[in-house]
Amino acid sequence: MTSKLYNFGSCSVVALAIVGAAPALAGGTLAGSTITNNASLTYQVGGVAQTPPPPAVNVFTVDRKVNLTVAESGAATTTVVPGQSAAVTTFTLQNTSNAVLDFALSATQSVGGVSAHGGTDNFDVTGVQIFRDANANGTYEAGTDTLVTFIDELAIDATVTLFVVANVPTGLATGAVSEVNLVATGREGGTAAVQGAALVQTAGANTAGMDTVFADVAGVTDGVRDASHSDDDDYTVSTATLGLTKTAVVISDPLNGTTNAKMIPGAVVEYCIAVANTGGAAATSVAITDVLPAQTTFVAGSILLNGTTTGVTCNADGVAGGAFAAGTVTGTIASIAAAATRTLVFRATVN
Amino acid sequence: MKLTISAVFFALSLSSPSLAQNANAVSLNSDVMVERTTTDANGRSQVTLEEPRMVVPGDHLVFVLRYRNNGAQPAGSFVVTNPLPSAVAFQGTADTSATVSVDGGRNWGTLSTLEISNQDGTKRPARSEDVTHIRWAFAQPIPAGQAGRLMFRGIVR
Repeated sequence: MTSKLYNFGSCSVVALAIVGAAPALAGGTLAGSTITNNASLTYQVGGVAQTPPPPAVNVFTVDRKVNLTVAESGAATTTVVPGQSAAVTTFTLQNTSNAVLDFALSATQSVGGVSAHGGTDNFDVTGVQIFRDANANGTYEAGTDTLVTFIDELAIDATVTLFVVANVPTGLATGAVSEVNLVATGREGGTAAVQGAALVQTAGANTAGMDTVFADVAGVTDGVRDASHSDDDDYTVSTATLGLTKTAVVISDPLNGTTNAKMIPGAVVEYCIAVANTGGAAATSVAITDVLPAQTTFVAGSILLNGTTTGVTCNADGVAGGAFAAGTVTGTIASIAAAATRTLVFRATVN
Repeated sequence: MKLTISAVFFALSLSSPSLAQNANAVSLNSDVMVERTTTDANGRSQVTLEEPRMVVPGDHLVFVLRYRNNGAQPAGSFVVTNPLPSAVAFQGTADTSATVSVDGGRNWGTLSTLEISNQDGTKRPARSEDVTHIRWAFAQPIPAGQAGRLMFRGIVR
C-alpha cells in the first residue's frame, strides 16, 4: 500500500527538514530481524491512577539489503617487466549488506579503451588467478594466500583483500598496459565452504516477511542494482631499452707519441663501447662482447667496466675487469639504471 | 500490522485491584510508516508513506501514536511513553512538548539538555541517535471525547 504523505497537524513541515540527516550506515540491522515498537500510556481521572490501556504495538521485519563494494587498492598501476610471473594487483571487497553472504569472484580483462590509471589497454596478461589475503597483511605471499573463486560467508561490514595474480607475456615495450577488472557478485550465504545460490530480488508485491533488495551502485563493468560490483586496475610494462655505440680514439703512435697520434702500425687505439638504457627500468647483468679486428692486438689488462660518458664523449673511466679470449673482449656490467649510459673501454695496438 | 494484546490487558487489570477499573476509557494505537522520497523526471521530489513491508537499513520511519479519551471524565497526568526499538535511530520530533531520555528512562529532558558519559568519564552532548525513550507528559488533562496524534521519526540502523 502506498499513500500520500498526510499532514500530521503542524508537525510535517518542520519534520521534513530532518530527513536528510541519515546516519552513516553500512550493513546495519540484520536482515530478517523484527523491529517492535511499543508505546504505552498512563493517566489519572480525578487524581486517581487508572488502568492503562493496552500498549500500542507495531512489528515489522527488516528486509535484506544486498550491497557490496569492490575497490582497487593503492590507486596506482602495477609496474611489470616483460615475462614477469605472478604480477599482483590488489583489491578489497566489503560486504555492506545487512546479511552474511557469499560472493562469487571473477577477473576479466579489458579489450582496448582507456585503462584505470591512464594509457590504453593493449595487451592481456595470462594465467589470471584470484587469491584471498589469508593472513590479512595486505601483501601477496605465494603459498600463504588462498586461491579462491568465491568468498565464503563474508560477515556484515567485513572486508577482505583480494589479489589478482597474472603473468606478463614477453616481447612488450615500455608503456604497454593491461587492464584487469575484478567483479564480485553476492550469493546466498548460510552454508559454509559452498558457494550459495544466486540471489534473487523479491519480485512483485512486498511481503511482510524478509524481502531481498539489491542496493548496489554500478561498477566499472556491472550495472546498478545487480548484486554485483567491480573495479579495475592495470599492469604497466616498464622495461630496459639498450642501445650500443662504439667509438675508437688513437691514443698514441710510435712516431708522434700522444700528440696528434695517427692510425699507423704500432698505434694504440682505445675502443669505447657505450650502452645507453633509454627504457623505463634498470637493465641488469648486461653482458658485452666485442670481436677484436684481426689487424689489432689486445692490450692485456686494459679493460675498464662500468665507466661513464659526458654527452657523447667516453670518459674512459671505470674499474678493471672483463676478459679477453679467442679474439673476443667480454665484460658484464651489473646494472644500468633507466636513462643511464655505462661503458666498456679497452685498448688494442694496430698490427 | 497492529497487534492488540487484549488478553494481557485483562490479566493485568484483574491483578491490579489498586487501579481504578475503567477499562478502555482511553485508547492508544500506533502506526509505523516508511517514508520514501522519489524524484520524478522533472526533478520534483515526492514524499510518500508506505506500510513497512519493504524495510532495509537506512530507511526513514515515521511513528504515529493516536490517543483518544473515550471516557466521560477528563484524563489527567496523561503520559505517553515510547521506548525506541534498539534497531531504530531516533531522528527527532517536531513536537516541542516531547521529552526524551538517553539513559533508558532515568533522566528526561529535551535533547540539548542531555549528556552521554564517555568511557573515560568525560561527558559529551547527547545526539539524536542516543535517544532511548520519547515521552509526552501533558500538562493539561485530555477532555472527554478528545483525540490526538503524536509523531516522531527514526531511521533503521
